[in-house]
Amino acid sequence: MSARIDVSFVALAPELVLVGAALVLLLVAITKGRPQLVLLPAGLATIALGAWVVLGGALVPGIVLALLGAAAPVLPVLLPGRATLVQAWGAGLALAAALALTVWQVDAVLGWQDGGLVASPAFAGSLANDGIGLFTRLTVYLSALLVIPLGYGYLQERRINRAEVESLVLLAAVGMAVLGSANDLVTAFVALEVLSFALYVLAGLARRDRRSQEASLKYFVTGAVASAVLLYGLALLYVATGTLSIPEIGFGLTSVLVPRAVAVAGLVLVTVGVAFKVALVPFHFWTPDVYQGSPTNVTAFMAAATKAAAFALLLRLYLVAFPALAPWWVPALAVLAAATMLYGAFAALAQHDVKRILAYSSITHAGYATIGVVALSRAGLSATLLYLLTYAVGTLAAFGVVIAIERRRRGEVTLTNLRGLGRTSPLLAGILALALLSLAGLPLTAGFIGKLEVFRAGVAGGFTWLVVIGVASSLVAAFFYLRIAGIMFLEDVPATDDPDEEAARMPVLSAGLSSATAIAAALIVVIGIQPAVLLDLADFAGVLLR
Amino acid sequence: MGPITLTVVTPLVGALLLALAPRSRDRDVKAVGLVVSLATFASSLWLLASFDRAEPDLQLAESFAWIPSIGSRIAFAVDGVSLVLILLTTLLVPIVLVASWSSVKDRLVGYTAAFLALEAAVIGVFATTDLLLFYVLFEFTLIPMYLIIGIWGGAGRRAAAVKFFLYTLAGGLLMLVGILYLHAQTGTFDYVAIRDAVVSGRLVLTGTQQAWVFAAFLVAFAVKVPLFPVHTWLPDAHTEAPTGGSVFLAGVLLKMGTFGLLRYAMPLLPDATLRYAPWLIGVSVVGVLYGAIVALMQSDVKRLVAYSSVSHMGFVVLGTFALNDVATTAAVVQMVNHGLSTGALFLLIGFLYERRHTRRIADFGGLAKQVPIMAGLWLLVSMSSLALPGLNGFVGEFPILLGTFATNRTAAVLAAFGAVLAALYLLWAYQRIFHGPLETDANRGTTDLTGREIAIMTPLLVLIVGIGLYPGPLFDLVGPSVDRVLAEVAAVAGGVR
Repeated sequence: MSARIDVSFVALAPELVLVGAALVLLLVAITKGRPQLVLLPAGLATIALGAWVVLGGALVPGIVLALLGAAAPVLPVLLPGRATLVQAWGAGLALAAALALTVWQVDAVLGWQDGGLVASPAFAGSLANDGIGLFTRLTVYLSALLVIPLGYGYLQERRINRAEVESLVLLAAVGMAVLGSANDLVTAFVALEVLSFALYVLAGLARRDRRSQEASLKYFVTGAVASAVLLYGLALLYVATGTLSIPEIGFGLTSVLVPRAVAVAGLVLVTVGVAFKVALVPFHFWTPDVYQGSPTNVTAFMAAATKAAAFALLLRLYLVAFPALAPWWVPALAVLAAATMLYGAFAALAQHDVKRILAYSSITHAGYATIGVVALSRAGLSATLLYLLTYAVGTLAAFGVVIAIERRRRGEVTLTNLRGLGRTSPLLAGILALALLSLAGLPLTAGFIGKLEVFRAGVAGGFTWLVVIGVASSLVAAFFYLRIAGIMFLEDVPATDDPDEEAARMPVLSAGLSSATAIAAALIVVIGIQPAVLLDLADFAGVLLR
Repeated sequence: MGPITLTVVTPLVGALLLALAPRSRDRDVKAVGLVVSLATFASSLWLLASFDRAEPDLQLAESFAWIPSIGSRIAFAVDGVSLVLILLTTLLVPIVLVASWSSVKDRLVGYTAAFLALEAAVIGVFATTDLLLFYVLFEFTLIPMYLIIGIWGGAGRRAAAVKFFLYTLAGGLLMLVGILYLHAQTGTFDYVAIRDAVVSGRLVLTGTQQAWVFAAFLVAFAVKVPLFPVHTWLPDAHTEAPTGGSVFLAGVLLKMGTFGLLRYAMPLLPDATLRYAPWLIGVSVVGVLYGAIVALMQSDVKRLVAYSSVSHMGFVVLGTFALNDVATTAAVVQMVNHGLSTGALFLLIGFLYERRHTRRIADFGGLAKQVPIMAGLWLLVSMSSLALPGLNGFVGEFPILLGTFATNRTAAVLAAFGAVLAALYLLWAYQRIFHGPLETDANRGTTDLTGREIAIMTPLLVLIVGIGLYPGPLFDLVGPSVDRVLAEVAAVAGGVR
């Protein structure tokens, strides 16, 4: 066997780790309380693999694998009799390993040239190692890594912590990451379906909760329709250009020989399908119900990570395959973005359920991220990638607080439940306020940096009118985020005689939940005050494989 | 670390210290607040001592790396205008904090921390020369002020706080679009670089472009000033804010608007400035008269002073856009004067409210015999506000009218009526509160100012009289910088490059 590792596997290193981990975790679930049956051999095998990789010359991934393999059999020893916690730790460690490998890839796979990374194909052109892939991995793995501790106690208490949860989260993350790198239509579609199926199941985790079932069914039906429409559009693109490779489609569409009508029909169907997935108005209507009904940690994962993955597909299709059709889709997407920003902000005004408010906020944010796409520039690409990351951080912190309150109340969180939270638990209220300020894009938060970048790209790209609409929408959004802050800090705690109610004021924070929420909140502040590193990274990542 | 950075960082450190120790005893909080704010004041005096009066341009520049990839730095520099406004800020904060010792009973540590954070941000707004940082700090001031009004304010505090926040945010966001537009044209957020590009003709914006960017800046600053007709947040915010909040709002925050016009809107967009100056003069005259007439009809004394602010700030904008060195310099002087006299009035109203828990003018009457010291100070401060010669208001308002008369006779004549009306509403209010028969029993036991309260008022009174009698140094400090801005506007817009 050759000592050199096949470059292609390097390109998928984080995903391979996660798929392996997902399988091991599923097997652990089968062993019924004797996890060492699986973890010990799996751990030894991973260590051996790591050693082989090190001998092959790849030091960092080998060490990461060896550490992961060593940790596997240790977990049940440290956490005796707590099978679900072993699962959560296992998934968390695998995600941390994937994140480490993603960072390692920056140097090992991408490289640096002329102020940006070097984009290269892998797996015979099916995958692209480029900026979209890098940022999607970062956002998705970071979100998943935070979602696992965020949701562990919550799932335990709702008694819906099934053994397959962690595996499904890992598989969904793999689907999202592959979607970020997918460079041909089939790979993209398969990745999209992998992540979608995992999420359909996750949305319906709470089998006894009608809302959760409704969310799952709605998500499945609308998702399936969207996939079908998208698939039809992709097929038409194949008909028009005779190729499945996204860069070749981009090249083919520049030719005069392409049947224009077929290509444009494909574009329209793709636009509808993708708009469903990223929830642009008027294809957003599934979002509030699905976000409200799904278990809150799943909602957080959907908002933060799925959004980023769906945008990865949108970015690659429009910036690589469709530049030749720009006169058709740029105005259309700009109008969709404007409608999305305004509708999401105004519709949120009428909501009382906090998860629903955050759902509408996620719709609004899809509109902002689209500004960077229509700018049709490298700066716009960097801006959208950065925006998705800052949005993920802000929304995860917000959902973390929602979970904390939900766990004590054992039910949904409405605005009235937040009354006086600033007095009873100032830290939690402070974090929620910080997250909301970030979502509103106020200065010195991560959200401001994201907005600044997309606005900057929009103005530079000649879309000042769209930026002004974005500004108007920010103002409306600020109004209702401010209302929440007002309810928490400016209103007094409602008086009550009920001792249960009395106790319900102090939300539950387990170690996992509080550390994940605190990390997200810290990221909001750090990125907001010192964004230089992240901006440089986004600038570095503004390179596409064409 | 130079004097500017020290002046910005000192209150910030104080705010963080207090935020990290939320369970501190009130006595310690008071001590920390006072020491930090006095240290900041001392630091600003060091800034004054280092300032070179002969240099009209920005000086004492300091700069630190922030976001290199988009050309934004943490950059500070001052000219005469920003210097006097920083001094006004650092002077008012210790006064405000001490004045709040008796009125703020709940969560004093949060209140003090919010004020120190606000102080740092405001000093930063006046001192920064980076457009992005300017925007960031300009918007950041909203958060502590929102909390100060919303948590420690009066009965209608929530609505007032939200209104204040949204009005200012709306303007600010449009300004961000304007700033980004300039950034797209020049590739930098450095104020000096953009200004020099405008002066040297390297950056030429067409009439339409200038009009839009000017409008974006104007909306932000007009809301902040506030200029008629976007002033409607001010009376609510002033009325509902705690005393300290009102003093700081009138004394310093409103000045961020007029400062922004003078620092950014005018030099960066000289053609638009010249073209729209007559309109702005018209609007500010309307504001002067409207504010005065509405003030006349108020039954709540705090609301009365709030509307008088609309009128007085109208004078400042009038002088700014008269675009001659007499009026525009006096406009800057008048910013300081308004901060001192309106700040002092709000303090007195606060003292009265702590004693009587009402602000309705009709509830008072005949108080002069009960509280002679308060009555005397009130009269003095009112006289300053209505521009009695010999007090500070006169040395600001009179040259504004004089200078405006030279460029726009009608506006000057109409605005002069505002000065007359000011005498009417201020003296009438004084008369109804302190003179006449002592009818209500509740007024009988009112006690006079305490030693602490007199001590708080003293620095303001000294400046009110001092600037009135000897305004020369203040004019010398401000004049060269203002002349420089005006010369630039005239040269670029006049086609002399």
